[in-house]
Amino acid sequence: MKDRMLFPTCADGEFFGRSREIDYICRRAADKPSPAIFLFGRRWTGKTETLRRVYRELFWNQAKVAPLYYQFKGYGSPEEFSEDYLKEVLKQYLAFRLRDARYVRQEISLDKLERLLVDNDLYPLADLVSIHREARKANDTTAALRNALASPMAVSSRSGIPVYLILDDLDKAAGSSGGKDPQMTGELMGSLTLGQTSFVASASTRVPFFGRAFNGSAEAMELTGLDEELSASMMLDLCRQYSVDTESEILKLAANRLEGNPMYMKSLVWAASKEGQGLSTLKEFADLYTAELFEGNIGLSLRSALGLSGINGLRVLHACSVAARPISDEELSERFRQGAAELKDIIEGLSRAGLIEVNLGSIKWAGDAAIKDFIYFVYETRVKGRSAEEVKTYLAREVLKEGFNFRSSKISVKLKDEAAEIIKAFNNQKILKILFRNQSFAARFKKGSVKGPGEDGEVQLPQTVGCFDSERLEAGEAGPPILVAHGFQNGRYDSGNEVVWMVSIKDSASPVNIGDVENFLRRSQILRENFRAAKLVRWMIGREGFTSEAHKRTDAEGVFSSDSVQLRIIKENLADKDAASRNAPDKIVPVREFEVVLPSASKAELVAAKAVEEIGTEMGFDDAAIGQIKAALVEACINAFEHSRLKVAKVFLRFVTSADRLTIYVQNGGVDFDSPAEATEPAADALPRKRGWGFELMKGLMDEVRVERIRGGAKIVLVKYLVKKGDGRNGQEI
Amino acid sequence: MVKRYNNFKEVGDTVVLYPDNYINDIEGEKLEELCTSYLERGFKKVVIDFSETDLINSIGVSVLIGMIEKVRDRKGNILFSGLKQVNYDVFSIVGLTKHIMIFETEEDAIGGNEKAAGAVTTA
Repeated sequence: MKDRMLFPTCADGEFFGRSREIDYICRRAADKPSPAIFLFGRRWTGKTETLRRVYRELFWNQAKVAPLYYQFKGYGSPEEFSEDYLKEVLKQYLAFRLRDARYVRQEISLDKLERLLVDNDLYPLADLVSIHREARKANDTTAALRNALASPMAVSSRSGIPVYLILDDLDKAAGSSGGKDPQMTGELMGSLTLGQTSFVASASTRVPFFGRAFNGSAEAMELTGLDEELSASMMLDLCRQYSVDTESEILKLAANRLEGNPMYMKSLVWAASKEGQGLSTLKEFADLYTAELFEGNIGLSLRSALGLSGINGLRVLHACSVAARPISDEELSERFRQGAAELKDIIEGLSRAGLIEVNLGSIKWAGDAAIKDFIYFVYETRVKGRSAEEVKTYLAREVLKEGFNFRSSKISVKLKDEAAEIIKAFNNQKILKILFRNQSFAARFKKGSVKGPGEDGEVQLPQTVGCFDSERLEAGEAGPPILVAHGFQNGRYDSGNEVVWMVSIKDSASPVNIGDVENFLRRSQILRENFRAAKLVRWMIGREGFTSEAHKRTDAEGVFSSDSVQLRIIKENLADKDAASRNAPDKIVPVREFEVVLPSASKAELVAAKAVEEIGTEMGFDDAAIGQIKAALVEACINAFEHSRLKVAKVFLRFVTSADRLTIYVQNGGVDFDSPAEATEPAADALPRKRGWGFELMKGLMDEVRVERIRGGAKIVLVKYLVKKGDGRNGQEI
Repeated sequence: MVKRYNNFKEVGDTVVLYPDNYINDIEGEKLEELCTSYLERGFKKVVIDFSETDLINSIGVSVLIGMIEKVRDRKGNILFSGLKQVNYDVFSIVGLTKHIMIFETEEDAIGGNEKAAGAVTTA
């Protein structure tokens, strides 16, 4: 097999969530004219990986442009840079022309390169080597620089193939002289501004030319951390690869704390695997995170990248990292009694490193949370002289505290928002009464039993016209939040049918108790004064249910009561108007979820088919329906794999089983799925068209199929309704 | 004379093909190659027995449509048998059931028992 390795990249299984950017840059590279793109992002957000994958894609999968990748590093002199740059341009062009990856990887001397160019009839390019030699001999730095920087353009004009430059770490271009080499920066910027060669350039700061403005037109693309969902998926996948026990909420917390930074997340999972530890509890995460930050891979990387050698620099950095607002340079100068020149040097160095942003003398922290923690550790141990153990313990406690806050804020936002969303979707529908009677619901479904006191009526829900928080009507009241929804019943918009729903939401880890009920009864009575004419419906929602005393009181007062499981079932039923009529009390079972990640492998879709067969059988789907779901799911998976930008991308599946349906979410980490093809009628005797049947098959086999656009791609949602065996065929109305 | 192999059987001028349990692009292409080789040898009637086939994906379907075209171009006859419900559903959605005779068993297909056409196996 041909050796296809170009610049080193991480394993495909460990690369996540940048396919949209890669796809965009590759498409833009082939555009005429192709715009300049500046790719900004904090350290280790995946800029180099992204650009190397762009290079790989352009190298192997197209012939419209010749890609040239160059990573800037610190240079001793502009001459050294000139030679390195020229060599890279020439050998990569040769590699692309011969489609031979070895030239990209190998170190080749200028002499050998010259011979190779001549051997391949590329005499005009060999001339560039001669010019370089002459310039060096004459100590003409400018000539050597200009010859090297113009070489991509020379390659374009002499080969007839436009060159696409991929410049990595542009902010390091000014080299080891600390950004003070105006000649090199000036020549480089001049060559890029000319616009004769298209390029994409990455940098850690938004001022890659050290304050100089780029005169050409350019697009800015920011590479932020991965979003929470994708980060958690990435960590879950890595944990599976490295056999690390996990808990999804902890992964979300970790993703949040690490701000979706791929390097941090990978390091954490590797450390867990190395230590034989899990990521299932908050404590495990806090311990691993602090150990990794101070003694592990993250700490090591930060130590070498930040280069915190001077104590004054550390003091300034620490002050900026803990400041709640931007600080002025005068304030820093006064606080640390530093001379203007020294402070200027420190600020410029920190700005170059992307740790602070300077704007009109105002200095703002620009690093991430992990760097902030790391600086805190170094500052406390080196400047304040505290022991490493003491600082570690303090930070671990802070992480734990933040973790608890994160968890409760998640719950709080989620439950209240969920309730508001449900109220707004009432839409005159009917819902089983048992879903509003927590005691009956709990008795009926305790330990899977469906026996218990019946509550088989229905509640007629109103058409909601408004829903708001009670805060504006009851200043200073304590207790759980109350949502007030105003609407009309029976589909009639007149005063006789006016109704107000007051909904109390308790989203803590303890059940609703008698005190909560009394609080709600009192407050709802006061709030009622604002809606005298309307009928009042009171509803209490408790994430963890109700105490028996609270049950008695709510039942006696005619107050509806639901826990989070009931709420979810109500939401599921409201999603479809017809669901309520299909539903029956003995079919209500709590929602369950299963996740499957498919690797990119031959027939991987059959794994999904097998999984759904198990799930569908357990739910009670008949064989015909299971066959249909399997066939539709296979189509969705194929579609997802086909549209993953990366050839080895994974497909994420989520199966949600509820009382009356199976919902399957199929998501890739890439670009959009195929749009459903327009159905065209073939001539009467003509055979059907050959391609483009995927979506039509899914639609024909499932009850609902939709494509939802999400950040980073799209997902297909497949729904199949369940009708119990003996009631007729699954998926059909009875 | 009947010659039975792993994935095909020759019965006079008829060949019966037995695809795998999952027809995707790779399996479809294998099937197509086999079918083409029989057409080139002068076989006029091709029966595809899907008794062992649990799933056919859309790429498999497109290969099958291509096979039907090829057989018809050579004035041959192609018949399906042993279809499971889901595969019948797939062919029906695509519109193939209007163009192909479908039999419950391969014997019905070989014998051309038209009364048995349109059937689906219960297996």
